[in-house]
Amino acid sequence: MNDNTIIEMSGINKQFPLVKAIDDGKFDLRAGEIHSLIGENGAGKSTMMKILYGVYAPDSGDIRVGDSHYKAMDTKKAIELGIGMVHQEFMLAEGLTVLENIILGSEPKKGSRIDFAKAREKVETYSRDYGLEIDLNKKVIDIPVGEAQRVEIIKTLYRGAKILILDEPTAVLTPQETVNLFKILNALKEDGKSVVFISHKLNEVMEISDRITVMRHGKYIDTANKEDVSIPQLAQMMVGRKVFLGAEKRSHEITDTVLSVKDIYVPSEREHSKIRGISLDIHKGEILGIAGIDGNGQKELAEAVSGLRKVERGAVVLNGKEIQNMNPQKIRMAGLSYIPEDRNVRGMNKSFSIKENLVADCFYKKPYSSRGVLNRKKIDNYAADVIKKYDIRPADTDICIANLSGGNAQKVICAREIDGDFDVLIAAQPTRGVDIGSIEVIRKILTETRDKGKAVLLISADLDEILALSDRIAVIYEGRITGVLKADEATDIKLGLLMTGEEIYEKE
Amino acid sequence: MKKNDYIEILLSILAALFIGGIVIFIMGFNPLAAYGELFKGAFQGNFGFGSTLAKFTPLLLTALAFHISTTVSVFNVGVEGSLYLGAMAAAWVGFGLTGVPAVIHVPLCLIAGAAAGGLWALIPAALKVYYNVNEICTTILLNYVAIDITSYMVNFPLSSKSGSPQTPSISDSASLTEFMLPSKANTGLFIAIALFVVLYWMLYHTTMGYRLRSTGANPAFSEYVGINPKREMMAGMFISGALGGIAGAIEVMGVYGCFLDNFSNGIANNGMLVALISRGDIRIIPVMAFFLAILQSGALGMQRYTSLDDSIISAIIALFILFATMQGLFKLKTTFGGPKKHTGLKTGSEK
Repeated sequence: MNDNTIIEMSGINKQFPLVKAIDDGKFDLRAGEIHSLIGENGAGKSTMMKILYGVYAPDSGDIRVGDSHYKAMDTKKAIELGIGMVHQEFMLAEGLTVLENIILGSEPKKGSRIDFAKAREKVETYSRDYGLEIDLNKKVIDIPVGEAQRVEIIKTLYRGAKILILDEPTAVLTPQETVNLFKILNALKEDGKSVVFISHKLNEVMEISDRITVMRHGKYIDTANKEDVSIPQLAQMMVGRKVFLGAEKRSHEITDTVLSVKDIYVPSEREHSKIRGISLDIHKGEILGIAGIDGNGQKELAEAVSGLRKVERGAVVLNGKEIQNMNPQKIRMAGLSYIPEDRNVRGMNKSFSIKENLVADCFYKKPYSSRGVLNRKKIDNYAADVIKKYDIRPADTDICIANLSGGNAQKVICAREIDGDFDVLIAAQPTRGVDIGSIEVIRKILTETRDKGKAVLLISADLDEILALSDRIAVIYEGRITGVLKADEATDIKLGLLMTGEEIYEKE
Repeated sequence: MKKNDYIEILLSILAALFIGGIVIFIMGFNPLAAYGELFKGAFQGNFGFGSTLAKFTPLLLTALAFHISTTVSVFNVGVEGSLYLGAMAAAWVGFGLTGVPAVIHVPLCLIAGAAAGGLWALIPAALKVYYNVNEICTTILLNYVAIDITSYMVNFPLSSKSGSPQTPSISDSASLTEFMLPSKANTGLFIAIALFVVLYWMLYHTTMGYRLRSTGANPAFSEYVGINPKREMMAGMFISGALGGIAGAIEVMGVYGCFLDNFSNGIANNGMLVALISRGDIRIIPVMAFFLAILQSGALGMQRYTSLDDSIISAIIALFILFATMQGLFKLKTTFGGPKKHTGLKTGSEK
């Protein structure tokens, strides 16, 4: 036992209705360290930290903070003890200013009025000390994601946090913003504060941590000093076996154009995501990656091509045929498949079974139905085959898809979209929020699709994924393409610059 | 539907009967004896059981009508209006057409009823689908319009001129056969049961059913896989209205023999309640419709023998619905509100 251990959780158990989220979990934190908590999705990282922050009460176990022992926390107590958490989804009031958000709930008072001057002074000391640059007067709705995250961090510091829990903080950031965040975390560490860094991005974990704790299926696996482990070792601990996430790049011929987008304009509810003149060509046998920060028009582009969103100007040509503004069914028949970004709403019907979801695009065709009557036997057999082929778990055709993990649900969607005839596959954020095992399967599906001579448009906010899979990379920023790079010319830095709007055209 | 749900429904029935029993006791009667009379009234003799069956038919049909509209996630409170117009159309074909054999005349009347009810339901459907007008609002208002239209027709152009507000009697060839006399039970019962079977089969065994269910469960998904949700909503509402129209037609052809002003008095509202307490499970609908029919027809028997007012039955029905829909309403709310938003606090990120 190290002397400056300030938090120790041991023997933690937590049962959710369907899963045992934490099984004899264990975690400890020292003063002035950055401690990463890693594991696949569903490994119980967030749950464990939400228990510490008092969002969930554990079924059993002991939480020691300083010298006191607790059976369970509640958020009020956690805040009093100096624990602060920045959730994955920010909890800010969009209509209020940054300053108002920070002081909300613990406003300094002057008489019956809020003492804004005092609040501002206090908040500015945090900005100065830790390099947390924010604009106090802007409304939260107008600031970018990276800044909103800094606001969340200041908010917890303002409430006196000595221990900061960050739940997957880099998922929403560009590479440059991530570098900036790490500077802030190191400054906090030097000031004696402790940070819990939840992540599954191993290279980041290796960069920032002092110690690393691995969880798998709700169980504690191991805690190690950073110096003592390597990325492959961590990956193996997380998954329980060796994994391979890269793609074999092949020198294959890029020939005919199958899909071309010609100077299209697409409306959007949000100003940043309106598409203003995008042109792209996608060829047979290539994966064209679209890199960019979320909300810069990626979803709008995919929906416009697949017929779910109106194209105001310009043309979309698939196999020599103009398809813009046709209905989605006709576009599908013309040869398009689409794995949508919004898995839970667009991608699947949560009240339907696995088999009903699998045949959603073909239930009206033979052999799954004839003369309007479903052939349930054919559907059952088909679903059983797919479940086996893609290792979908649980392997039950009749189970409701809502009971599946994100990764398995995504496998169902991928299986549906790549089965049958198509020439172009749009894969939007295909591996977001899914476990490593499923990422492996899904990435294999994408490269196999390419190797069969089909075209893949891969839209992803995960740069590693784009770099690992794409043959060419186009970067989207505020509804425009800021550059198209060949895979071997692309680097983190170049892409990062393009992602923030710096135009460095290097077209082939 | 899970096993727990069935048990919950059973429990709410028992709880309602129990609280009703306490009320009966306070009023100075023996609850067991009163319930005994109630069940005797609902089952004993041709009249008792026949009346239960006669009440069951329109309850089942209107409940199915409401169910099919919620399947496409439209809340059709306008089944009552479709029922009135369907009844009127069936009556008109029933007395206007003469000299046709029953095998043609009966189906014609039913088709007229279905068409009238179905087309009527397309009005709120189109307003919702194309102009995003709240269908609960429009269907409630259109009910008044439908009832007043039939009221006008029965008093003026189609009046029997007999002094009472009703149409001339329909011809024998358009009448449904009655049985278990002197009750009002008629062969409409079998039409209703057949429609239930067809509807169940259609929803779960045909591509049309798949489209309808998919649209109601998730229109965004349906659009994405190539289903036109607007068309499916219109289709679902047409079927809903048509079932309401058939319910009205059967009342005319099997029970009254003519269109009687204001004859329904909220049949479809009770049907809607049946659908609600069946919690979106079409297989439960006949059971619940039958249960409500027992209470309604048994109430008369109980009143006759115990001098307990039959309003106590209305109270028990209301209690039962209250218990049953606490959960039922909750479930509908989630279906209508769409999938829940991700709120970091409650759901967490690790799923």
